[in-house]
Amino acid sequence: MVCFHGDEGALMIKEKGKFKRATSSIGSIANLLNRESVFKIMLVTPMQLLLSFLLVPPFAIVIYLALVNWQPIFGSWTEAPFVGVSNFVRLFSDRQFFWALARTVVIVAISVSFQFILGMALALLFNREFHGKKVCVSVILYPMMLPWVVVGFIFYLLFLDHGPVNYVISSVFGPGATVSWFSSSVTALVAIILADIWQWTPFMFLMSYSALGAVPKELREAAMTLGANLWQIFRYVTFPTIKPVVLIALIIRALECFKIFDLIFIMTRGGPGVSTESMSLYIYRMGFRYGQLSFAAAVAIVVLVAISLVARIGVRPLLKEEL
Amino acid sequence: MKMLGSRRVGASQVVRPKSTIFWILRWAAILATLAFFSFPTVWLLSISFKPPIEWMAFPPTLVPRNPTFDNYVVLFRPELPKGTAGAMLRVTEPVTKSFVNSFIIVPVATFISVVCGFLAAYAVTRFRVGGAFMPFFVLTTRMFPPAAFAVPLLLYYRWLRLIDTPIGLIVIYAGFTLAFSLWMTKGFIEGVPRHVEEAAILDGASPWRVLFTITLPLVKGGLAATTLFVFILNWTEFLYALIFTSTRSITVPVQLSHYVGAVGRFYGPQAALGVVASIPVVALGYMIQKYLVTGFSFGLLKR
Repeated sequence: MVCFHGDEGALMIKEKGKFKRATSSIGSIANLLNRESVFKIMLVTPMQLLLSFLLVPPFAIVIYLALVNWQPIFGSWTEAPFVGVSNFVRLFSDRQFFWALARTVVIVAISVSFQFILGMALALLFNREFHGKKVCVSVILYPMMLPWVVVGFIFYLLFLDHGPVNYVISSVFGPGATVSWFSSSVTALVAIILADIWQWTPFMFLMSYSALGAVPKELREAAMTLGANLWQIFRYVTFPTIKPVVLIALIIRALECFKIFDLIFIMTRGGPGVSTESMSLYIYRMGFRYGQLSFAAAVAIVVLVAISLVARIGVRPLLKEEL
Repeated sequence: MKMLGSRRVGASQVVRPKSTIFWILRWAAILATLAFFSFPTVWLLSISFKPPIEWMAFPPTLVPRNPTFDNYVVLFRPELPKGTAGAMLRVTEPVTKSFVNSFIIVPVATFISVVCGFLAAYAVTRFRVGGAFMPFFVLTTRMFPPAAFAVPLLLYYRWLRLIDTPIGLIVIYAGFTLAFSLWMTKGFIEGVPRHVEEAAILDGASPWRVLFTITLPLVKGGLAATTLFVFILNWTEFLYALIFTSTRSITVPVQLSHYVGAVGRFYGPQAALGVVASIPVVALGYMIQKYLVTGFSFGLLKR
């Protein structure tokens, strides 16, 4: 066994023979492990092993795939013909890609802004003590713990032709007014967005609510003494204080919402046709249903680059003070 | 009862009639909110206790006319229910396998994720290993759409023969929840005063000893919350499980999507499975309710 550390260890080996030699090398390994430089490396090694295993080869594969023309039915993927950027050319001339992108952006914009407004309103509503408040907060919070697939299924049930939503519509506006929700893209998207709002408004509520709790009372009282009305207090005192928190919440939610897949997959599978397809579903259809893995790889690269840019511009400044 | 209680509270708190109106509006808003958030789940529960003939009945009823446990029974014993329900339900496979899979894959992945995340978070907070880049990079892995990442991963996994194996999913789940593990535990470690650790080092304790006997006990609660939170995320994950499993190692969310059958949809059993699949995570969620803010904001916000 090699002795790494110090002269004492080496001396001991000479003087005391075999038994001591073993213990001293264990001792020196312990010394080695306890050195700060080694300690630091060992702390991050598990994570780096895991991430390199999971990220590095796929990154190489995705670039390779995007530059060749390959589908599983073509046989071995190592012998696929090199086609340069033609996958990307095809991507940027594909209408469905831009529609999926636009649709995803619209879903994110509508559902995140509703979540923000509703969550903020609820937080203000709950920013005061009343009986049973804890129970009410608990009731509001549970949707975000539910599995997405379950939420998708629940809203699928609600918006069925014979479901409760249509029942309410028909009893208010008469039987002719019912809507076949999943047979047209706009109404299907309404159902999907409602499901997302239902599940994630609690998140915005929780964020704003806990931020509001941290606003010092004296600030509001001072403003009130100076004659500010409720809106002015919110606009110029409360909101500026909770703004950083709300901003982080908005960005996290927008990034998560951009990945939307489960809800749509369960509710409409992207249909009718491909008219409710989000970016994730588009990649899924191209890559895993049609088997056009090369093309899907090109889409994946474009999306990954775009997300990285957004993250760098939008998220990193927020983390600056954290690091 | 309710009227009495409410009048008492109203009278003690407010005198002017204008405030009473506000008070009524407030409670109307609160009750509407509660109804909005609870009705969909109540509907799921209701469907899960309905026999097949009531699944599509119009007008729909909130309370099942002939409540039945068949939908729950059929999940685990597909051969059991007889009669109208049985004929329709017998086609489905038992969900036991997916539950066993989920209960193996999710805890193991969660454990790996939290251990790796905690050790790395300690290195990042105390020694600034990797500077500002590393934690940010880890965070970025969480922002990538799983669908985009699954494309190369499919070939990679095919080559490694990891498709439809528990190990394959464990690695994916552990890797893609690392961001949460790292950032959440990072926040908790920052809460441990440095001088406590420094005192132990001055006493001659090795860094490992400091980590495991001083720091670890102090962040125990935070670690538990992180573990449960990551468990919830892994339990509810759907896309990777959908793509990387086919028969042997399907998880509960994938099983749920399987009930969309060619023979017509089995709303009842699907609803029952939805209820059963949600119970563990909602229960865990309530256990760590005060850490949910920390969790969902990657530890950027602390309560």
